[in-house]
Amino acid sequence: MFELALIPDLLPLFAGATLRTLALLATALLGGLLMGFGMNLLRQSLPALQPVYWAYVGLMRGLPFLILLFITYFGLPSAGLELSPFAAAAAALSLYSGAYFAEIFRACWQAIPAGQIEAARVLGMGSMQVFWHVQAPQALRASLPLLANQAVLLLKDCALASVITYPELTMTASKVVSEQFIYLEPYLLLAACYWLLAIALDLLGRWLTQRFRLKGATR
Amino acid sequence: MNADGVLDRLAAYLPVMLQGAGITLLVSALAIGLGLLGGAVLLGLAQFRQGRSPLAWAVALLVSFMRGTPLLVQLLMAFYLPSAVGVDLPPLLVAIAVMGLNSAAFQCEILRAGLAGIPAGQLEAAYSFGLGQRQVFWHVQLPQLARAVWPAVVSESMDVVKNSAIVSVIAVADLARVTRQIFAANFRPLEVFLSAGVVYLLLTGTVFALGTWLGQRMRQPRTPRPPRSSGLSTPADSLGVRHV
Repeated sequence: MFELALIPDLLPLFAGATLRTLALLATALLGGLLMGFGMNLLRQSLPALQPVYWAYVGLMRGLPFLILLFITYFGLPSAGLELSPFAAAAAALSLYSGAYFAEIFRACWQAIPAGQIEAARVLGMGSMQVFWHVQAPQALRASLPLLANQAVLLLKDCALASVITYPELTMTASKVVSEQFIYLEPYLLLAACYWLLAIALDLLGRWLTQRFRLKGATR
Repeated sequence: MNADGVLDRLAAYLPVMLQGAGITLLVSALAIGLGLLGGAVLLGLAQFRQGRSPLAWAVALLVSFMRGTPLLVQLLMAFYLPSAVGVDLPPLLVAIAVMGLNSAAFQCEILRAGLAGIPAGQLEAAYSFGLGQRQVFWHVQLPQLARAVWPAVVSESMDVVKNSAIVSVIAVADLARVTRQIFAANFRPLEVFLSAGVVYLLLTGTVFALGTWLGQRMRQPRTPRPPRSSGLSTPADSLGVRHV
């Protein structure tokens, strides 16, 4: 039933689709990280805006990503903002993953002992200096393994962009299925692509964690 | 459009959306149950003979696959591959089975991490007091495991409710699907999808509240508890730079 001979024909199609999935992932990852980091910066520099932070995080963690995607792709045009499938997917993914990234940053931020910050202030550092030279390096380093894990989840959410017709991996496979009436080969190839990408991201995360580990640090 | 019109339309969506929410609830509840049970079974299989059997290897492969590929892809494969060889499975059954197995893979990892967090010294102490393996599991490991993994289990259960929106793709008439159908009929995306979002928020919020409540009961089963803090501010919140 499984015909290996079909695979070479499918490979170029899937290679292109993998690149489009990766382009979406990279854009969303950048957007989500900026969003998460920015929200934390806001939360810390303007305590009055804490409720905004919690509303954002609570909303994103309670809403299915699919519904958010429908709101950005189908809903925004009626509010006067027309987005291409790629832009809508990237915006929804950034917004959605941003909440998870924000919580990761917050947790790692708060894990920094208060004594360090007091010490830095006593030594005459301003609050921005404390942020850039004491808090940010440690929080980012500690968050690397969690960020890598979240990136894998983000990769899997990218598959839903197929529902709004962005021609990434899943849509490409579905198209092959409906046009050529072959099932096993495209679906197995599709699963293999995601699985390999997920494993690669996981390994990259481990490597980065190792690479930036402080000598003699316990975590 | 006037406000009355919107309210009238929302009232018209409500019965259909509630019906969809019922299916969402059914799929989610069964998937959460299957996931917890399946996660425990998978972990048990993985630890068979100290994890050095082919069975443990197969479980590791399955867990990696379920965690490394999108739920959407798993649903499509489970739905269309059998139908390609002439076996037509009901979409609802596929949805529950795939979501349950998917959640089981995540729950398995949660339970594994929780079990690894119990200090080995406790087990040695229990054995040296003469407790059997079964007693150690029920009286030493399980109570601590339950408390340690509970927040993660609740979080995973909320994810199951959210991810259940994806089963709409294989023609299960859940909330996400009926919402799309309403949208396809009236082309009012903002109000339709926003109201669906509110229903989903209520569902995930209920799971969260229920989970938190159960978690608090679990923590101290007998002694009365002192009044709780609001939980909104953590000690570390006061660590903000500007206050120092």
